[in-house]
Amino acid sequence: MRWLTLYLRSRQAPLALILAAGCVALLWALWSAFSDDRDVDVPMVILTVLLTVATLTATLGGPDDALERTGSLPWLPRRAAHVLVAFAVVVLLVLVTQATGARFGPAWLVVRDAAGLSGLTALGAATVGVARSWFPPIAWTLASITVALPDKTWADVATWQVQPPGNRPAAITAGVLAAGGLLVYAVLGPTRRAPAEAAQ
Amino acid sequence: MTRVLRTELRRSSAGALFLVLLVAGVGLLYSAPDVWAYGWMPVAMAERQYLILLWPLALAAGAWQSRREQRSNVAELFASTSRPLPQRVAPTLAVMAVAAASGYLVVAATTVPWIAHSARYLPTAVFAVVAVGALSLVAAAWLGMAIGRLVPSPATAPVVAVAGIAVLLILTPPVLGGRTWLAAMLSPTRGIGLFSDFRTVSGRVSAAQALWLAGVAVTGTVLLAAGKRLTRVAALIPLLLGAGAALAVIPQGSAYVDSPIDRVAQQLVCAEGSPRVCVSRAHAGLLDVVTPRAREALRLLARLPDPPTSAVEDVNTFLDEHVQPYRADTVMFRIEIGGDGRLLNPDSFAMRMLYAGGMSEAPCPDGLDPAVSIAVAHWLMGEEPPAAAAEPDADIHSVWAGLHALPEQAAIDRVAAVRKAALACGDLAEALAGGTA
Repeated sequence: MRWLTLYLRSRQAPLALILAAGCVALLWALWSAFSDDRDVDVPMVILTVLLTVATLTATLGGPDDALERTGSLPWLPRRAAHVLVAFAVVVLLVLVTQATGARFGPAWLVVRDAAGLSGLTALGAATVGVARSWFPPIAWTLASITVALPDKTWADVATWQVQPPGNRPAAITAGVLAAGGLLVYAVLGPTRRAPAEAAQ
Repeated sequence: MTRVLRTELRRSSAGALFLVLLVAGVGLLYSAPDVWAYGWMPVAMAERQYLILLWPLALAAGAWQSRREQRSNVAELFASTSRPLPQRVAPTLAVMAVAAASGYLVVAATTVPWIAHSARYLPTAVFAVVAVGALSLVAAAWLGMAIGRLVPSPATAPVVAVAGIAVLLILTPPVLGGRTWLAAMLSPTRGIGLFSDFRTVSGRVSAAQALWLAGVAVTGTVLLAAGKRLTRVAALIPLLLGAGAALAVIPQGSAYVDSPIDRVAQQLVCAEGSPRVCVSRAHAGLLDVVTPRAREALRLLARLPDPPTSAVEDVNTFLDEHVQPYRADTVMFRIEIGGDGRLLNPDSFAMRMLYAGGMSEAPCPDGLDPAVSIAVAHWLMGEEPPAAAAEPDADIHSVWAGLHALPEQAAIDRVAAVRKAALACGDLAEALAGGTA
């Protein structure tokens, strides 16, 4: 228990959780105040998932990852658990609104996008570094919302975040990103940085 | 100073911002080239609409850039230097502005080799539309830098990116109480539209957008360079000044024209020689391609009694009152341009001109009977239409076969009757059956 408390504190998890919950609460309040519709617009749901994932990004690395690696602990299951818990937190925070007057759904879309975007973020943390790992999910998702592509399989893959819940290519893409991100981050961990960059 | 700037260019996120804008802008533009490939104004307008993605990205890049000192653990060290804050941030502001503006301009420049062979008409309004777009990205980068300095958290950059796109999506006329002019002033993606080849943006609207964006940009710099709380509050002054100046310039309420038409672009440019063939100034680059095809259609129509003697592009748009009259002695045609900037379906151009005996553009509220209209064109061209079993091809073929079976002179009389009925918006099938009656 003591280890867990120290770990979460070193990753600034409490702050990230407060931020994530605050973002969902703010968007929920905005929708409740300005719309009479109980079901939230799909672009807003996607942006909410994106925002929640982005606020949890910083927890993927600690203040000194190089030092952390020297600890003789089995890091692989812990890193995997970290990504899975972050994904669960995103899904939980967004889907809790289903019980209220402004429902962020459909549930499968939230689960798919949260899984894919969490995986993409973890992949970024293990390759380009935690500090830069917010960029791929943000740029890709905003581009998917903006661009209009023809109705083809490759287009479903390219804009998987905005496809309707039943779309198979989009679900497979999200699954590949989620599994790939989980695996690569669990094995490699966050990138090593020069000591001068240690605090992000 | 040049050396400082060069160093800053390498060490800041300016290079990354330039690359991101280039990739995103080029990707969006070339995912649908048929939206803009028909002229310079459509290019400028399309890129402005794609600011919906570029603007939030520039905002995020600015916010990211402002955390550089925290990321490198030197924020406290730099705060202790005796150099004043404005002097320290000026080179960063400069290189970020250069990256944002040049990224936008380079994306626009990539379309030059793509459409330069056909796009000739380049009104000055195009430069204003592009300049406002570039200015909006500079304002976004500077505003992002200011936000990143005020809230130096790892989550700031992604949050401002999402907030940026949300703001652009929300700034719609319905949210602003139906004030289309206000949406056009506040949001760089509004006040433009790709609904016609002759659309433009009025100089006053561009000027108002530029004033507002300049206010936003100056506010960003003041917030960034301000060390004291009071100066930060004073940063609101340029924002308010910009908004005030923009409000004074932009035409409000009913004075605001939502979809202004460029009358100069609609003016006709005619080919040398006779018979007369004219296209709009906006499409003047296609005159050489259109002229032989239009003359071919006129030659085929010359067999009819009282034939048309000229062919002119139809520049009337649904956004506009009809400025061009429809006359019996003129064949009107539409010019459609494909994603490569060339005439769309050039091989069937003459055929389409002959629809309804050269009267297919007649402004009839119910339209014209398509089967008769197309069959007549096939008869005039001397080409058998495809014999398909399904509608409407089967109808076209049966009408054509009826005409083909008639003696030459009788068929000519019937086609002339169809042409006359089309001009009067009458029933083409009846005219075809009744011959000259």
